[in-house]
Amino acid sequence: MAQSAAFTSEMIRSELEEIVGQAYISTTETDKLIYSTDWAWMPQMWLDRGERLATPDYILHPGTKEEISAIVKLANRFRLPVVPWGGGSGTQGGALSIYGGILIDTKRLDKIIEINEKALTVTAQAGINGSQLEWALNEKGLSLMHYPASANCATLGGYLAPRGSGTISTKYGKAEDLVMRFEVVLPNGDIIRTPHVPNHASGPDYMRLFLGSEGVFGIFTEVTMQVDYQPEARLLRAVLFESVANAVEAGRRIMTRRLDPMVIRMYDPGSTASQVKQFLGYELEGAYMVIGWDGDPDIAALQEQKGMEICTELGARDLGREPGEHWWEHRYDFYYPPKSLKLPWMYGTTETVTTYDRLETLYYAKKKAIEETYKDHNAKYIGHFSHWFHWGASLYDRFIVEEPPENAQEALRLHNRIWNTAITTSLEHGGMVNEHHGVGLKLGRYMPRQYGEAWPFLQTLKKAIDPNGIMNPGKVGFGF
Amino acid sequence: MTSAEVKFFENVIETTENCRYCLMCRHTCPVGLGTHNETLTPHGWGLTIASVKRGLLTWNDETVDALYSCADCGNCRAHCVFDQPLPDAIAAARAEVAAQNLAPAVVYEFDEMFKQWGNPYQPQAPEPASHQGDVALFVGDESLYLWPSALEAALKLLKAIGIEPVLVGSGRSNGYLASSLGLPETARSLAQAVIEDVKASGASQLLVLSPGDAFAFNRLYVERLGMAWPDDVIVQEVTVLLAEKLEAGELTITPLDDETPYVYMDPTHTVRVPERVEAPRNLLSALYQRPGIEVFWRKDRAHPAGNTALQFTQPDLSNQLTMGRLYDALSVGARRVICEDPGTLSALKPGAERVKLDLVGLYELLADHV
Ligand SMILES: Cc1cc2nc3c(=O)[nH]c(=O)nc-3n(C[C@H](O)[C@H](O)[C@H](O)COP(=O)(O)OP(=O)(O)OC[C@H]3O[C@@H](n4cnc5c(N)ncnc54)[C@H](O)[C@@H]3O)c2cc1C
Ligand code: SF4
Ligand code: SF4
Repeated sequence: MAQSAAFTSEMIRSELEEIVGQAYISTTETDKLIYSTDWAWMPQMWLDRGERLATPDYILHPGTKEEISAIVKLANRFRLPVVPWGGGSGTQGGALSIYGGILIDTKRLDKIIEINEKALTVTAQAGINGSQLEWALNEKGLSLMHYPASANCATLGGYLAPRGSGTISTKYGKAEDLVMRFEVVLPNGDIIRTPHVPNHASGPDYMRLFLGSEGVFGIFTEVTMQVDYQPEARLLRAVLFESVANAVEAGRRIMTRRLDPMVIRMYDPGSTASQVKQFLGYELEGAYMVIGWDGDPDIAALQEQKGMEICTELGARDLGREPGEHWWEHRYDFYYPPKSLKLPWMYGTTETVTTYDRLETLYYAKKKAIEETYKDHNAKYIGHFSHWFHWGASLYDRFIVEEPPENAQEALRLHNRIWNTAITTSLEHGGMVNEHHGVGLKLGRYMPRQYGEAWPFLQTLKKAIDPNGIMNPGKVGFGF
Repeated sequence: MTSAEVKFFENVIETTENCRYCLMCRHTCPVGLGTHNETLTPHGWGLTIASVKRGLLTWNDETVDALYSCADCGNCRAHCVFDQPLPDAIAAARAEVAAQNLAPAVVYEFDEMFKQWGNPYQPQAPEPASHQGDVALFVGDESLYLWPSALEAALKLLKAIGIEPVLVGSGRSNGYLASSLGLPETARSLAQAVIEDVKASGASQLLVLSPGDAFAFNRLYVERLGMAWPDDVIVQEVTVLLAEKLEAGELTITPLDDETPYVYMDPTHTVRVPERVEAPRNLLSALYQRPGIEVFWRKDRAHPAGNTALQFTQPDLSNQLTMGRLYDALSVGARRVICEDPGTLSALKPGAERVKLDLVGLYELLADHV
């Protein structure tokens, strides 16, 4: 039995090697282990406790879209799972090879094809590193304006796959709003390109189908994004509200009056007392809010003035520029060990998004559900309101259990139960399953509830696009 | 183990425990970016070392090969908000592997060379300090054996500002390479010998030819090797001193009438001494009367050339890094590449010839124009 498996495995390996070349296929135990985890807490904890995870059988580093197409065709022939991998920075287990198969690391597709300074677009291969792309644009006085905390590790394709958001998405939009067009290798191996402009009336917008598909509908190979000139001015300041209610209302008024801030980041009192103190060194009571405007200095200054009037009306204390600028400078420090959230703690970012009429209720409902249900585990709930829209905002909330069970299985069970409480509460109070981290493996089970009668429609689409179910099976709620 | 060694070891273990699940500096890791392989990233090395500790992997040919693929260039640490000393942790893991006789054969061959000759290049004993004086110049092994013209030119430049230094450490490795290969004891003996040479010279200022030497004496000895650098000896790079003198009007550079598009190539280890990046550029601007073109991987994000331990343990990877630097220069339209570090220059030379880039030593270029 083992010998016949080895035989089949070698036959497939040889074929894959022919496609990508000997240097770009790996089946070593070390590589398999390293590629067995992304940045989700579950696999990280599993390894931390000395347990093994499912691994890919073949790790491939294709250098062209044609190679990816050939790999996908082979995978259909042998009915092998194909898992796209960008930077492995996803937090939802979306890049885990839970059924083994072929892992396609896209990072060799890392070239910038064109920076168009007239149309203000950049076309790059999907495996390019986010910060590298940003630096290249900065050389020309441009910026992608998509600033996720994971820019150092994520890829361009990985920005689009889960519909990511960056720090200044409030003004510039999510990654999905910045995309002009892309090229994608479909599950049958065909390579298609979307039209060169995203807004038109030339039939249905099938482009959107791929945004948020997390590899279940295909693999991005090339992407054109909108870019901006680097802003002349960036004005940041911080204010302190006594209550979350007033802070949310201030954000709502700023957004609905279209004052166009690049960022509104409002920390709840728990985060203000913990994270703001730990990382920024300010000891404050209440809801700490950073607000920023950018672009033309005169316009930004006027917008800021109007925004500050709203904050003052709602009782905010102006903390001045320094705490806002300091936050901007250190906004990613939260993600560096040893001070970031890390094992052996248990934690999860259960972020969501909803409309203004439900935002506050949603926040308190989740806080109550997590803190009360998991009182015995001393579960903490903290949150900030991170990405704002004309109609609502995202709640970037987290649970933290500092002393989770020692046993890996017990820890995983507790983790999944807390997530269940968080997501169920989100759904009950008008929140979405997720705002920008995606669904992955972790949240797939909530898809039928999220979409109701539309879910079978999505399943039908999946079946039509990927009849053999090879693309990233087990993710986004789709089975194998 | 001494208490300093115990502390270092604990710190190192803590570092891999942090880095194993962190992805925040991989955008600057030249090996990760060049190989596109998750295993060969700061996170990958952290996770590999942590997994050996947890019994999920063992040290064998495959894992050791990965362990010896880190360039020990310092980019990760330079971009780490909390200054995690990952390269030190990797060197410590290599030391563990080397002590178990599992390191690549070349490590043991080099250990013998270091022990016998104080350098890995020539079977020739290092020279003692030439005489006594207030200012010394560390010659090392790379400038003696790999790129001798840099030393001669640097001496001429120093003379132009009135300095005739005592030569110390001629033919002796500064210990970085041994430490990087996982030979901490050998590295300590080399470091001790350098310190004794410097003390014997009676100098209070030690000039060095490259940022690699500055890093070794100012940081590596203390942080990685647990050794004390003499308090009364200040280390300064020759380029930094020359730039100071230029600014003070004590050094005059005759402008060069040459339109060749040039880049200044930051030497290997620049990221570890980021405060030095403007000095060579200022010297070149004075010479050419215009700034050079800048490559993409420059200054505080400069990638190393292949002149690290990789050139012995992973020659292909080392070559890939070197060629990466040259392609970076070509891609911005440069025809001439200028650098002062003997190690970096000697690594760049064969590739520069292949891609027809004019490779010039900074000291040599300046020495002809003072
Ligand atoms: C420290 C840190 C901070 C973070 N901050 C943010 C943040 O501010 N904003 C945010 O939105 N996210 C954030 N994330 C989450 C994560 O980084 C993003 O979701 C990121 O965009 C994922 O990109 P990646 O290249 O690492 O993808 P991976 O983790 O490799 O993959 C994620 C999913 O996308 C699929 N995929 C990857 N590449 C492709 C492709 N080319 N084609 C099709 N499918 C593909 C994978 O199969 C997987 O399902 C953060 C993560 C970390 C570790
Ligand atoms: S060195 Fe710092 S940034 Fe890099 S992996 Fe380690 S902790 Fe993360
Ligand atoms: S020392 Fe250099 S090669 Fe090694 S992990 Fe750090 S950045 Fe990468």
